[in-house]
Amino acid sequence: MNAVWAIARRELMAMFASPIGWLCLVGFSLISGIFFALMTSEFSVMTAQAAYNPYTAESIDLGLWLIQPYFANTAILLLMLAPAVTMRVFSEDRRRGSFELLMAAPITSGQIVAGKYAGSVGFMTAMIAMTVPLVGFLYWVATPDTGLIACGYLATWLMGAAFIAVGLLTSALSENQIVALVTGFGALLVLWLLSTAESFIPGTGGTLIANISILSHIDELMKGLLHSRDVVYFISFIGVCLFATTQRIEALRWRA
Amino acid sequence: MIHVQHLTKSYGDVRAIGDIGFAVDAGEVVGLLGPNGAGKTTTMRILCGCIGASSGTVTINGIDLNENPTAAKAHIGYLPERPPLYDEMSVGDFVAFSAAIQGVANVEESVANALQQVGLDGELGGTPIRDRIIARLSKGYRQRVGLAAALVHNPSILILDEPTSGLDPAQRKELRTLLASLAREGRRTVMVSTHILGEIEAVCDRVIVINNGALVAQDTIENLRPDASIVRLRVAQEAAALGEELEAIDGVASARAEADGWWTVSMNRDCRTEIAACAASHGLLELRRMDGLEDIYLRLIQETA
Repeated sequence: MNAVWAIARRELMAMFASPIGWLCLVGFSLISGIFFALMTSEFSVMTAQAAYNPYTAESIDLGLWLIQPYFANTAILLLMLAPAVTMRVFSEDRRRGSFELLMAAPITSGQIVAGKYAGSVGFMTAMIAMTVPLVGFLYWVATPDTGLIACGYLATWLMGAAFIAVGLLTSALSENQIVALVTGFGALLVLWLLSTAESFIPGTGGTLIANISILSHIDELMKGLLHSRDVVYFISFIGVCLFATTQRIEALRWRA
Repeated sequence: MIHVQHLTKSYGDVRAIGDIGFAVDAGEVVGLLGPNGAGKTTTMRILCGCIGASSGTVTINGIDLNENPTAAKAHIGYLPERPPLYDEMSVGDFVAFSAAIQGVANVEESVANALQQVGLDGELGGTPIRDRIIARLSKGYRQRVGLAAALVHNPSILILDEPTSGLDPAQRKELRTLLASLAREGRRTVMVSTHILGEIEAVCDRVIVINNGALVAQDTIENLRPDASIVRLRVAQEAAALGEELEAIDGVASARAEADGWWTVSMNRDCRTEIAACAASHGLLELRRMDGLEDIYLRLIQETA
């Protein structure tokens, strides 16, 4: 366990020591801040209009008009940035030879993957944590639904953790960080778009494929409905990706 | 100790090493020799568990590396040719990280010991070396940091792949002295590969020579010397009769003048004193015994090419 913790800690520190880490952190905070400012401003205009229009006043809902769309936008932002967070995790180690240090140590490939994953998820958590002051602002000016916000954060965190797991796998597949970034982003985009499969493939096949999509399992959670099937989906999804990454590391040991 | 049997490694159709077998006893310092591409690094990486062998067995202190890799690897300290360092970390943090992944219980004490063993416990430019960022260190210091990381868990076996590669002569000498003391004081089993044969001769008890992925020889340098030794000499004066005079010495098998002005003398017993006395009368300038490690190595490689 000490080894996993040591690898996770080093991974987290490496992100904070790298320009790409700061670029992700600042970029995420800045763009999500802009989203939040635009949405808040739009919501303020709608609230002002509602004073003169009783029909609009009935449909005004902070959760529906501000909190849910904000978390949905944050999710898309994470989809774009998660591969950038993970692209160097294995690729850089392999390129600069530091991977030998881990391979020669008395630890398993599973421990290496677990440590690297925990460190990357830690960094992603720090990214998401940057939005807390923004959401906290809502408590100052209104009375938001805490359950909805908690579910929004849980959904964003679970989705981010799933994105990181995919990124970790693509990073293990190539020594080149750019290749890892592009394949990671491509894989996440495909997993996102699978939710539209029902429109193209009729019947059970389409439903089955759509259910593999991350998006299909995030909608309900974003609305504040916590289903165990969605949580199980994310845990299974992450488990499959980490298992595949571990197998890839084992393959590197045997094919190298 | 290290015990290797029928070790083979193939990359697709290309065989990097084939059916290698050797043993290194506890406390022994062994040099692994071979030209570039001979399979030295592949052999060392297999011994450290970095890569798997296609077939064969490796036993580390009685533990099968295939069956129980984590237990076997705990006995090994490995320094690859390019030290596996995290440039953004400080020296102390990196060695502590290495200790943590090696499962060391008392990290702080082990780090201090390892840094002291490799001479990184002092200061550099007014800053303690352990606080310096690795990216800003010279190649010699980086090599030492890699060595400290390999030593931090006090392994009984040390495997070093070209540890002096890229170092200047002064750094090489320092590192050679360090390796010799690490082997002696720690009573460690050390396996070292290098292209600098003088280092092997100075440090190692025994050599293992591989070429084209096959084991060519394994013995002490003394035992690898041919029975009939060769000396080369150069004299100041033109001496047509020198050949006959040398061949008249009991123990000299043949003497011939080379195009480069040197004489090559084959002996069937050690009669260098008589040869020197004979050549001295013609103004002896230089006399070299041609069965140093370099000559042995070149002969073995040529024989198996």
